[in-house]
Parts: sequence; structure tokens; C-alpha cells
Amino acid sequence: MQREQTSALRKGAVASIPLLLGIVPWGIVAGVAMVSAGLTRTEAVAMSLLVFAGSAQLAVLPLLVAKAPLWVMYATALVVNLRYVVYSAVLAPHFERLSGAWRALLSYITVDQIFALFVARYRPNDAGPGRHWFFLGGSLVMWTGWQTSSLIGIFAGALIPPEWSLEFAATLALIAVLMPLLFDRATVCAALAAGAVALVAAKWPLNVGLLAAIAVGVAVGLAVARFGAARRG
Amino acid sequence: MASEAWSTWALIVGMALVAFFTRAIFVLPGSRLRLPATAERVLRYAPAAALMAIIVPDLALTHGAVSISIENPRLVAGLVAFALAAATRSILATIVGGMAVLLLIR
Repeated sequence: MQREQTSALRKGAVASIPLLLGIVPWGIVAGVAMVSAGLTRTEAVAMSLLVFAGSAQLAVLPLLVAKAPLWVMYATALVVNLRYVVYSAVLAPHFERLSGAWRALLSYITVDQIFALFVARYRPNDAGPGRHWFFLGGSLVMWTGWQTSSLIGIFAGALIPPEWSLEFAATLALIAVLMPLLFDRATVCAALAAGAVALVAAKWPLNVGLLAAIAVGVAVGLAVARFGAARRG
Repeated sequence: MASEAWSTWALIVGMALVAFFTRAIFVLPGSRLRLPATAERVLRYAPAAALMAIIVPDLALTHGAVSISIENPRLVAGLVAFALAAATRSILATIVGGMAVLLLIR
């Protein structure tokens, strides 16, 4: 491995270590939730390794308890994960020159926090071939933290008092990574609009409120940017 | 029960496919799938919108009901975390500070 690659890998890993404070409690919560929903330990470990999507897992588990049909659970997982389609489109130009195996690995390992760190740091047209190593370094830290903490939740979750509200740390981690993305007025307006819609639409079925929120947020962002440009022009 | 085990594995495998392909849909085809310039402008606003759409209900919903009040500890702790994130740009300070506020005021 060349020196720039090692250096980018390490930078990514170091930048994401504080994010473990958010992902570890969340992983423990997910581990506990899987076992309480009736999964065997083997099934819970398999879900953690194969799915590796905390919010989709946590959204589906109450449906499993309620014995919802499979297709409803698939649909819920799909809707909660549709934000990754957006991330995938944003990341694609960064990774288009990599081999298929690299692109598959980086796809599997994508999480909200590293996506946000990466987008705040790199622009698609920047030179610099080491960026996928940065992404990998950060993602490996998240992956390891998530899998380890899920195991703790699965095998030792009963020891943790629920009044510690561990799951709140995940929300705080998202607040921390959101901040560098709010780089201009249009983006701030997009975020505020999306937050408002998400709140109003929180009870819509299958979590489609999340998608409505993203759509309205993007529309508001575009409108504010256009208005600003027209005023300047 | 055997049928329950079968449907649990069907759930795990189905979710694994969903989780992989939603993440891979544009990254995996590589340069064969190019986005038009309009799409790139749209995507500029999507990450912040998506994160905020996850964060706000976590802060302002209590047992499924909207609760925008100083009596809602998660909302207060979340707003403190926003202020900390803006002031310090530190992930550590944001998470530790937010958790401390939540556990103290509850």
C-alpha cells in the first residue's frame, strides 16, 4: 500500500473515532431490540452482519413483534433505506473509477455518518485518488463499532438499564455530522423544511414521511438558491 | 416453530438485499450510469435534508405525539447539541454535552 493510501485510511479512521460515541450505544440498543423482538441469537447476529442498517432494523422489529406480513416489513426497510439511494447517487462520481469489488465493498459499508463526513470533505471534481481509502477507514471504524456493540446488546443487553437512553446518542451523532453540511442559506432552508415535514408526516404509514421530507427539503433548497441567484443577477 | 424460523430468515435475507442495493444502486454501475447536471444540483440539498428529517422526529416526538416545549428533555438536549456542534464543530463535545444535558434535566 502506498503512503498516501495509508495516510488517507488513517485520516478517515481518526476522523470517525468520536462518532463511535454515537454508534456504539445505538448498536447496543439494536442488539437488545432484536433479541426482545424474538430473534434467536444466531438470527440476530446474522441480521446485524448481513443487513448492517440500524434504522431499518429498528423500524422493522416492532412490525415483527406485531406479526406483520413479510412484504410490509420489506417495504418499511426499503422506505427507511431509500435515503441511501440519494447517498449512492452523490457518491457514485467519487468512486466510478474503482474496481467492481471496491464499489461493492464501499456500498455495503456506507453509513449516514461517514457519508456526511466524506461529502463535507471532498467535492466530486477534486483531484486526489486517495479518497476511497478515507471512506474505507471511517467506514471500517463504524462497522467494527456497530458489530461489536450489537453483539454486546445481543448477549449482555439485559444488564443495561433502559433509563440511560442510550439510543439518544445516535441522534446526537447525526447532529454533529449534519453541521458541516449546512454550508449556505439554501442548505439550511432545505434542512429546516425537511425537519418540519418529517415532524408533520411522522405518522404516515411505512415511514414515507421521511421521503416526503427529503423531497420538500430539496425543493425548498433549490427555490432559495434560485431566488438568491435572481436577486444577485 | 419451523415456519417462524423460515420467515425470520426470509426477513433477514430480504432486508440484506434491500440494504445492499439501495446503497449500491448508483455506486455499483460505476461510470455506466451518469447523472444529468440537474440531478447533481438536486442532490446538493439532499444529504442535509435527509439527516434533518431523521433528527427532528427523534427530538420533537414523545410517544408519537409532537412535543415542542421546554418540558421535553430530548428537544432541549438536542437544541443544546446543535449549539455545541455549531460552536465547537466537535463530534465529541456534541455527543457528550447532549447526553449530559438529557440525563441531568430529566
